[in-house]
Amino acid sequence: MDKHNRSRLSSVVLPLLLGLAVIILWQSQLLHRMIDADTFTLPLPGRIFNIIVENIGKILINMKATVTVALGGLLMGSLLGYLLAIIASAFPKWGTGGLAVVSSFNAIPIIAIAPILNNLTKDFSRDPNVRSMLAKTLVVMITCTVSMSVNAYRGFTELKPFSEDLMKSFAASKGTIFLKLKVPNSVPYIFTALRVSVPASVISAMVSEYFAEYIIGVGRQIRENIVLAQYATAWAYIVAAIVIGVTMYLILLAVERASMKGRP
Amino acid sequence: MANANETEINIKGLCVNFPDKDNGGDIQALKDVNLAIKEGSFVSLLGPSGCGKTTLLRSIADLQDISSGIISVKGKTPKETRLSQQYGIVFQSPVLYEWRTVRRNICMPMEVIGLPKEERTRRVDEVLELVGLTEFGRKYPHQLSGGMQQRVGIARALALDPEILLMDEPFSALDEFTKEKLQIDLLSIWQKTKKTILFVTHNIQESVFLSDDVVVLSPHPGRVSAVVNIGLKRPRDLAIRETAEFAALVSKVRHSFEGIYE
Amino acid sequence: MTEARKNSLTDKLVIIVWIIALIIVWEIGASVVEKTKRSPQNVLPHLSQIVESVFSDKMVSNKQTAFQIVITNAGITLLRAGIGFLYGAGAGFLLALAMHRFITVEKATFPYLMMIQMIPILGMAPIVLAITQDINKSRIIIAAILTFYPVATNMLDGLKSVEKEKYDLMRSLAASNWNIYTKLLIPTSIPYIFSGLKIAAPMAITASILVDTLQGGAGLGTMLSQSLKHAMSIYVFWQIVFFSATVGILSYKLMSFAEKIFSPHERAKGAR
Repeated sequence: MDKHNRSRLSSVVLPLLLGLAVIILWQSQLLHRMIDADTFTLPLPGRIFNIIVENIGKILINMKATVTVALGGLLMGSLLGYLLAIIASAFPKWGTGGLAVVSSFNAIPIIAIAPILNNLTKDFSRDPNVRSMLAKTLVVMITCTVSMSVNAYRGFTELKPFSEDLMKSFAASKGTIFLKLKVPNSVPYIFTALRVSVPASVISAMVSEYFAEYIIGVGRQIRENIVLAQYATAWAYIVAAIVIGVTMYLILLAVERASMKGRP
Repeated sequence: MANANETEINIKGLCVNFPDKDNGGDIQALKDVNLAIKEGSFVSLLGPSGCGKTTLLRSIADLQDISSGIISVKGKTPKETRLSQQYGIVFQSPVLYEWRTVRRNICMPMEVIGLPKEERTRRVDEVLELVGLTEFGRKYPHQLSGGMQQRVGIARALALDPEILLMDEPFSALDEFTKEKLQIDLLSIWQKTKKTILFVTHNIQESVFLSDDVVVLSPHPGRVSAVVNIGLKRPRDLAIRETAEFAALVSKVRHSFEGIYE
Repeated sequence: MTEARKNSLTDKLVIIVWIIALIIVWEIGASVVEKTKRSPQNVLPHLSQIVESVFSDKMVSNKQTAFQIVITNAGITLLRAGIGFLYGAGAGFLLALAMHRFITVEKATFPYLMMIQMIPILGMAPIVLAITQDINKSRIIIAAILTFYPVATNMLDGLKSVEKEKYDLMRSLAASNWNIYTKLLIPTSIPYIFSGLKIAAPMAITASILVDTLQGGAGLGTMLSQSLKHAMSIYVFWQIVFFSATVGILSYKLMSFAEKIFSPHERAKGAR
């Protein structure tokens, strides 16, 4: 008992100590000497904190823009990916090869996709904000489609041995087998896909902001502020980006834990 | 019975406790075990799951810390015996290194103790022949059947020519036909090499067929409830299983379990 | 012909059919764009036009053809991606070993390792450039950070996947730590390291191209931005799109190939 508690305590205390050590190094400017930086490009934590407090309204607007794009693309991409997986599993002979081609899209740099979509969506709306939003969301969607389709397909096909035979012995229809066996079986695989695509959606959203017509979003603000040599503000947006990434991932973990209850 | 009379392993008052995670107390895995194992003999540790037979084997092998009592192997501690590489171990699964060929799997213990290359090659040839796998040296484990993989495990355990062979349910994952073949082969290897063999099993027939002595263990707490001497003639073949003598010994072993078959 | 060989042949055929289907979809799209948009080559040119631009000897800038620009700048970008990838892989390897050896290191660093996964590292590229003031160092650092995480976590999983019996066997042989690491732990984690490297290789390339776009000078990303701003032929952009996609996929294949070299038993499996 005692030993167990001490071990849990140390997994909280040790990381905190490490984090504290880095912040002390940073605030005392020892870190700056170590990596040969100045307090201008690498401002002290206290100063970054002040900037966040002063500009909270503006930061929140940009965070909202990034989160909207990331979540919208994540949702669209995941639904599309799941749909593709359903189609592929209905026609396994063609589906497996199709997904192999789709999964090779994963290796295509986002930077190559973002400008293409910017051009494609130019005539969509007169409002540059709206059409930029669409282009960015489509980029995120493409990055999220791949991991969902590949993983969900595995969820439909990697069944427990004999489970499909069992269903067939009840004379279950294809539809019933799909709903009662394949869909529940795919749930853990959906989360495997989301663990990849949730962080990827934030990254893609930020990178596509670089190329977007309309200047908004956390990623774009990091860049714009560095161009203006406002490094402390850029750091404030980096903190905002970290908050978005960590929050979305933690929410995913909570949802996963809640919906995987009772599974091994 | 084998020809030697000297005691190889002597166990006195052995207790092993595990911490109980649920209530913070201890679980008695082994309680007051006393046992003497003669040199060159084939001894089975028999019992249902949870009786501590594997714990007993691991304690002798110095893979498990003991709570109290003494284990002595020809006057040395298990640790000294382990450090002088006098134990060869065979597990339930073959535990082969999938990235090494059969030959290099068997070589592994010899690489660890740093034997010269010619010596390694010579010994690998020797043990491969002993287990009947001479032609399979260049194969990878996944290219062999389960029974053949287990033979590689036995060959590896014999590679350093240890005094004692410790076998933890080595045949329990094999099908009945393969198992019988390997039992016969193990007996012939034992007769050729004169090793002391400690053989953990939950199969009564198997223990009677193979052993000089069957140590019967009972659970909760794990303890020795009987030691049954098997006086069947050697060498043994499969036909011996159909004799009345064999059936009587099986039934004697079965009745020596306390409270399990009552 | 054996049944297995026939199957693998059909699989290949299916993939070829899919690729042809994709090309057809692209061409239909390009034809539509050609009729409806003012400058179709900016939106979706025909594939034949892109291929043509590769072999065209028209000078686009600085006495170089479009393809020469792509190749010379690719060298600059990919070299840094490669260096960063190697640093990241090495650091990930060492951290995984340290985390496995010392429980204190694991406990102190594990939450931060998880955080790297959640943090948009690419978004931090501009600040890395601002601190280092050196585009090459930034490419290397960003590529290294992105490689570091998948290698470290996958290898740690690999080290933890070693069966208890294999430890027991090593212990029964009184094996030294050196032997346990070189003969058991590291060989066991090799397939895990490679699954990390396969994730990391295309990411390192993406990262390096992205860092290019942050500054003028040279590199695939810089040429991509300039081409988009119409500072040079738009076909430079289209060539870079296809080039980077190909290199990304090839980097993945290269890791699969390296894995086969490091694990002969997998080769034996394929040959069976």
